[in-house]
Amino acid sequence: MLPFAHVAHYLWTLYVIPILIVAVAIVRSMVAQRRAPEDGEEP
Amino acid sequence: MSFIPFAHALASRQDLPIPAWLFAWAASIVLIASFFALSAAWREPKLEDEHRRPLGERLSGVLLGLPLQILCGAVGVFLLGVAIYAGLDGTEAPDRNFALTFLFVTCWLGFPFFSAVLGDLFRPFNPWRAVGRAVGAGFSAIARQRPAYLPYPERLGRWPAAIGLLGVVWLEVIYGAGGIGIEPHATAVAALVYSAYTLAMMAAFGVEVWCERGETFSVYFGMFGHLGIFGSREGRLVRRRPLSATTSWATIPGSAAVVIASIATTSFDGGQEGAFKDTLESLVEWLADAGLGPTASLRWGETLLMLACFAGVALVYLLGIRGMRTVPGAPPLAKLRVGFAHTLVPIALAYLVAHYFSFFVFQEQAQFGFLLSDPLGTGTTDLFGTASWEVDYSILSANTIWYVQVAALVIGHVVGLMLAHDRALVFWPDYRKATASQYWMLAVMVAFTCFGLYLLSVSNG
Repeated sequence: MLPFAHVAHYLWTLYVIPILIVAVAIVRSMVAQRRAPEDGEEP
Repeated sequence: MSFIPFAHALASRQDLPIPAWLFAWAASIVLIASFFALSAAWREPKLEDEHRRPLGERLSGVLLGLPLQILCGAVGVFLLGVAIYAGLDGTEAPDRNFALTFLFVTCWLGFPFFSAVLGDLFRPFNPWRAVGRAVGAGFSAIARQRPAYLPYPERLGRWPAAIGLLGVVWLEVIYGAGGIGIEPHATAVAALVYSAYTLAMMAAFGVEVWCERGETFSVYFGMFGHLGIFGSREGRLVRRRPLSATTSWATIPGSAAVVIASIATTSFDGGQEGAFKDTLESLVEWLADAGLGPTASLRWGETLLMLACFAGVALVYLLGIRGMRTVPGAPPLAKLRVGFAHTLVPIALAYLVAHYFSFFVFQEQAQFGFLLSDPLGTGTTDLFGTASWEVDYSILSANTIWYVQVAALVIGHVVGLMLAHDRALVFWPDYRKATASQYWMLAVMVAFTCFGLYLLSVSNG
């Protein structure tokens, strides 16, 4: 059980995962938008 | 007499069917779904116009008339006087003295909770406004001229209120740290000092100007009052579209600091005995090693942590704003910073409800029970025959508290998203760009939701 003795200390990581998912999705969408600029818009 | 500390959060262990962190995931999914629903169905600003409907002339005449205003003001002055008297002359047992519960629970929590539904309820009961107006009217009658006030510095905006808000929480949570919490006597002295300061500022800048910008309680309670459905306009009581009044609240400089201070202080209070406990202990130890005494190191450690919370909340908000600036057609950064500050108001309310609603429910039983009958807590008076009442802690189970906390956080953040989406449609009339700008606000809302649930899960668990 020893390796899991301090697992509660790292419980906060489970709360960070949704934030990371949203942040990564935003960055990916931004990169995709910059690579394919809309018609009629300056690059 | 034995007494319990004036604790803020009454924690108890839950027996939840799923782990607490899964609630954060579920809440995030709700926010993401709400975001896409808003993007698809909400393509024009709907909240910029309050859609005011005047209420009956007779009703307005009674509720906004001078006799009722004088009565409400007198009630406010009387209750403040009772609280100060109880603090100075009553027992030092925090849970038995009227002063602490009345000021820090009934008023500090009650006005935000009820004003958020009904509109600003503090304004008519504000004791300093009542005194200031009475003195101003007396001066005008005697001198036969209106008092001349100094021009209020525009750039100062609501910063005095933001600093005052941090000060009130500092007094309540940090000043009494390490012992039994803030003492009634210190609270009464602080109330007297604050009264003198407020009346002096009202004399300098005018009653209404100071209440609008500098008076901590008016600004703080008024901020939540802008969410409510009732307000007044040109001497008439009006009903307005819910949330719509809040869209114009943050135009005064420093408003963002007020709402950020509200979220930060609630987070700090919720986390100091839970999520931030280890950090706080290390900080206090480090300060003690640096030569500070036990009380000073505790106070300084908590003060630094509270300021760090303020900086952290501000940073998350500013990151969201910075991200929005990258969307083509974005207005200047300063305009975005002011333009979206009001979207944090429902979050501030959600944090307040989530962290304190159980405390409020329990403590109000004391307020309208033994504290009303025996305000000094000396055990010698029983004004209304309720001096022997006790608080029934079984009326709320730990699971009920948790579900209310989760619901408050989710609803508060969804409302925040709605306000942000509505404002984005003003800045970016093309709804696709408005939606793109709101990816960033979605990230801010998910971050605040998960952080709030983490704080609660650690304090409760």
